[in-house]
Amino acid sequence: MSEQDQCQNQSRRSFLAAGIGVISGAIALGVGAAALTSIGAPAVTNKRQGKWVDVGSAADLKQGEFNQISIVYDAKDGWLEGKIKQLVYVKVTGDDILALSATCAHLGCNVNYDEKTGGFKCPCHSGMYDATGKNVSGPPPKPLDRLAAKIEDGKLKINTAVKEA
Amino acid sequence: MFRRISQAIDDRFKINDDFKKNVLDHPVPPRVNFTFCFGGITFLLYVLLAVTGITMLFFYVPSVDHAFTTVEYITFDLTAGNIIRAIHHWSANLMIVFVFFHMLRVFIYGAYKNPREFNWITGVLLFGIVLAFGFTGYLLPWDQKAYWATRVGVLLPKGIPVIGAFMSKLLMGGDDLGSLTLSRFFALHVAVLPIITAVFLIGHFLMIRRVGIAKPL
Repeated sequence: MSEQDQCQNQSRRSFLAAGIGVISGAIALGVGAAALTSIGAPAVTNKRQGKWVDVGSAADLKQGEFNQISIVYDAKDGWLEGKIKQLVYVKVTGDDILALSATCAHLGCNVNYDEKTGGFKCPCHSGMYDATGKNVSGPPPKPLDRLAAKIEDGKLKINTAVKEA
Repeated sequence: MFRRISQAIDDRFKINDDFKKNVLDHPVPPRVNFTFCFGGITFLLYVLLAVTGITMLFFYVPSVDHAFTTVEYITFDLTAGNIIRAIHHWSANLMIVFVFFHMLRVFIYGAYKNPREFNWITGVLLFGIVLAFGFTGYLLPWDQKAYWATRVGVLLPKGIPVIGAFMSKLLMGGDDLGSLTLSRFFALHVAVLPIITAVFLIGHFLMIRRVGIAKPL
């Protein structure tokens, strides 16, 4: 084999080696990207959906005080379709509607209305909230979630998504 | 930086030269043609099946209540899920084809003869495992096609004298094709068969490295 042949051979070898590298890289990248996309996607796409739930006639509500309302709504959880039950406290004062999620901000127990203070008390670890849902004592790190609520055609509707503060 | 890291690794473990000698610059007999790629292609498909299979394992639930729902979710709802499932489906089908071509090539070239008999033996076992993969995987979507095809499959052993009826029950996990069948097919498909395959593959590869591939005709 002459030196020129050797030289040519060498560059052909490195070309083929690079080709193998590129092709295997492309396959790995393609399949890897598809796999990671699938595995990662639910973090972005599997959102808790906010929806308006009709909870009944507004006339039945006691004005100016908290009404305990249990709402049930259909929810999608990945491939599973189920119902979510949620406890809400609603106070209607004139045109003003305050809807507080009863889920304690500490560990998620349902809080009770506390007649003594006019606020809420969590039965699990005695977390206290005032009448606006603000955490006043005990372990809760933040106020009760506020939910959007409205009265349409005499019916109270509550949005299941947490209202941004 | 990558060069320095790889250099640091190589300084300690001295693998670059071995890798070059045994993989990239490994001498093969002259006049090797593309039919010698069939085994490698089969292995590539196995890797693709492993990657896409593990991905679907993040979503699939092997129960008669949820199997079909989760497969539907993977196919229609999950981002890129249809791609993943399609790659798994086509790789599985192509793997059978390429295993066949690989065997055919080895057969025609007489590459199964001394000193490569054990390669042939492990290869035939691997062929059986690939078929078992196909049989067990076919049931997992738990749709009509899966159910009735598997019903035919699990009833086949009944034709074997004496032990046939028991083998059929062993496959089904009882008298009927049901939840236990799905569970055991799933376990075989994602845990038992991959491990057995890996063991035989390592043997298959190491042996061919030791004796070299057969010279072309």
